[in-house]
Amino acid sequence: MRVWRWVLVVALTVLPVVPAFPQSEPVTGDALVVGSIGDASRLLPILASDSASGDIVGLLFNGLVKYSPQLEIVGDLAESWTVEQGGLVLTFTLRPNLRWHDGAPVTAEDVRFTYQKLIDPAVRTPFSSSYELVESVEVPDSRTIRIRYKEPFSPALESWMMGIIPKHLLEGQDLNTTPFLRHPVGHGPYRFVRWKTGELIELAANPDYFEHRPWIDRYLYRIIPDQATMFLELLTAGVDLSGLTPLQYQRQTDTAFVQRAYQKFRYPSFGFTYMGYNLADPRFSDVRVRRAINQAIDKQAILDGVLFGLGAVATGPYPKESWAYDPSVVPAAYDPPAAKALLAEAGWEDRDNDGWLDKDGQPFRFTLLTNQGNEVRRQVCELVQEQLKTLGIDVKIRVLEWATFVHEFIDKRRFEAVLLGWSLSRDPDLYDLFHSSKTKEGEYNFVGYNSPEVDALLIQGRQTFDQAQRQTIYHQIHRRLAEDQPYTFLYVADALPIISSRFRNVVSSPIGIGWNMIDWYAPSREQRYRRMSR
Amino acid sequence: MTGYLLRRTALLIPVALLVTVISFGIMHLAPGTPTDAASFNPKVSLEARQRMAALYGLDKPLRVQYAAWLGRIARFDFGRSFVDDRPVTEKIIERLPVTLVINIASLLLIFLIAVPLGVRSAAQPGGAFDRWTTLLVFLGYSTPSFWLALLCMAFFGVQLRWLPVSGLHSLDADGFGLLHQWLDMAWHLLLPIGIAAFVSLAGLSRYMRSSMIGVLRQDYIRTARAKGLPEHRVLYQHALRNGLLPLITILGLSLPDLIGGSVIAETIFSLPGMGRLFYDAVMARDYPVIMALVTIGALLTMLGNLLADAAYAVADPRIRVGGRE
Repeated sequence: MRVWRWVLVVALTVLPVVPAFPQSEPVTGDALVVGSIGDASRLLPILASDSASGDIVGLLFNGLVKYSPQLEIVGDLAESWTVEQGGLVLTFTLRPNLRWHDGAPVTAEDVRFTYQKLIDPAVRTPFSSSYELVESVEVPDSRTIRIRYKEPFSPALESWMMGIIPKHLLEGQDLNTTPFLRHPVGHGPYRFVRWKTGELIELAANPDYFEHRPWIDRYLYRIIPDQATMFLELLTAGVDLSGLTPLQYQRQTDTAFVQRAYQKFRYPSFGFTYMGYNLADPRFSDVRVRRAINQAIDKQAILDGVLFGLGAVATGPYPKESWAYDPSVVPAAYDPPAAKALLAEAGWEDRDNDGWLDKDGQPFRFTLLTNQGNEVRRQVCELVQEQLKTLGIDVKIRVLEWATFVHEFIDKRRFEAVLLGWSLSRDPDLYDLFHSSKTKEGEYNFVGYNSPEVDALLIQGRQTFDQAQRQTIYHQIHRRLAEDQPYTFLYVADALPIISSRFRNVVSSPIGIGWNMIDWYAPSREQRYRRMSR
Repeated sequence: MTGYLLRRTALLIPVALLVTVISFGIMHLAPGTPTDAASFNPKVSLEARQRMAALYGLDKPLRVQYAAWLGRIARFDFGRSFVDDRPVTEKIIERLPVTLVINIASLLLIFLIAVPLGVRSAAQPGGAFDRWTTLLVFLGYSTPSFWLALLCMAFFGVQLRWLPVSGLHSLDADGFGLLHQWLDMAWHLLLPIGIAAFVSLAGLSRYMRSSMIGVLRQDYIRTARAKGLPEHRVLYQHALRNGLLPLITILGLSLPDLIGGSVIAETIFSLPGMGRLFYDAVMARDYPVIMALVTIGALLTMLGNLLADAAYAVADPRIRVGGRE
């Protein structure tokens, strides 16, 4: 009896540990075929400004640091780093035994070289501004880099996520035109194999990658410029990974085949869609008017109608997953009567009974601009128009070609209101968007927001390194922006990737699904592409 | 004849220059600059964009930019693309074969189908064959090609799995033998070429038909029939020769079309051809690429006209006589 009881106890404790189905061990092999709308242009981190180049460069080159799936900054090429003198000195220590794909060691000199090229006026990099505050970069030994700043700059840490480029291959070359741009040599999890312009980019697993060799042998980046074609390719398994539109996600991927062959993911993108006002316009300079409009727009209805609910209502510039997001900011309730009362307080009433609000004999009428080629934004404009109409505000919609929109209307401040979106980096610094000094033609505070309080907070935020202190600062900024309403924050859309179900270990996180790509694998029986790269 | 051709050729130079001036002007009048790709990204500051514009020479007056461009063209240098800094010539040469293959193949297909269709229709205008082909070719003419393409992709590619949905090669094509590679490409191009041919059958078959109807009314055809020649000899030996004359002009005019790819077809079928190169260049305000393609297009159009005129003169004695007077 006693023995049997023990057996039972042992069995009960051990059994739950053994999974119901045998978990397969990761194996090498197969290829991941990724579908992309656009082709890459330059495969060098400091020149890669389009998203396709960014995708490829991100697999070939690493930065000194990177974001963990929990959005913390962790070491990448650097195994550790210190912040000294209140942020004036950053010291990085590289991991030992890092190698370029050609076998040469990755050293601190490469980091210094990368910096020198970023600030070189002859190099056509758009990213120089993040490095303007650097005073000097010293290399005490081959694994140590010491960077001195003219003033503390906390987003600087994020700026060292820039991919490091090889000095031994690029020194003395014109980086704008070097053949390296089409035959890059990196140190990342994948190495470059070939690039057929407009068709395909092929990468192969780097056997010496410092974390471990990626399980998937090949990474094939197929350029498929049409969204409808991309979807047909998914249906024939011509593509393993791509993004879906909300319509495809919600309505067109519920067939038995897609459910069997693919896994869908959903996570918030970093960025938001908003309606921005020209604050120099006397109507919109009155904060009561902006608050009233905020209350009169049913954001959930917009989200449901346009994105099939695949997103979240925004209360400010940060998604809920960001540490800068202040959960105490409550979304303004959708309340047209309150909005009407607020507008009446600001002097806007329907005095002539024509259905439109008026003040000083002028009806409340404005034009909402947005850019061509973005169907979702156009639909949002129409919903805003409809909702403000019930309030008595007459909205006209104008859709403009992108370059015209930016140069003739945004830059020259020839707009009343715009409907646009920002996609932002993970660091919550919003200096360029909301600081009152950033209102020149071509700069990004084009709404003309000017709040001494927010100005001070923005500067404080980029000079503070302590995470807890920064969080307090950005929570305050979030609250101020929600009160001041320089934009009506509408929603944060979800990213909707779909990936072949033969790949295991694909895990969604606040930074997406690509973060652990080197751990993905396809069990031998399900592998589809057998051939190795040349 | 030679003098006539020389005069025609000499006239091409000022026209070509004018074309480049106009297209250069229009392109720069359009709002936007090549540095826009990096704009509206908070990480890219105004100063960084201005610096990039200066590095591309875009801060100089338009006259100076045009003069510099013309100077390079005179030395057959089309410059480098603003998007990826590669020589424009290299970018064009890379894209040219796909477009040439598609266009030549579909042009051949169109001729092979349209000429017999036109001849047979003309043999009995208003007859059953004529009416059915009219219906068919106009069905093709009025169908939006992108819609037809998507339907065919969904039917042949997804439903039946007979043809690939898009692309130019299979993913592992670089491991195939040469013949296999060619067959693989032909298999991928079946739909794009077939659809391109189907939607443009109407034009040529109609030209052929009306030209043949005109020819068939002439006296020598009546003579041929009167002396008892079989109908197919009347049609294909006697009438066809003269009926083909107007097609020479059409062939000449389609010379620039050979290198100008279709943006829509190339986008839908994911083919890296000239159409997408041009479209992407315009969208990115990639002036060197745009100007190179416009210039080559203009030269080919003029050359095509010239060749058509010359060929016509060779084929039709009446024009030769007219030229001598």
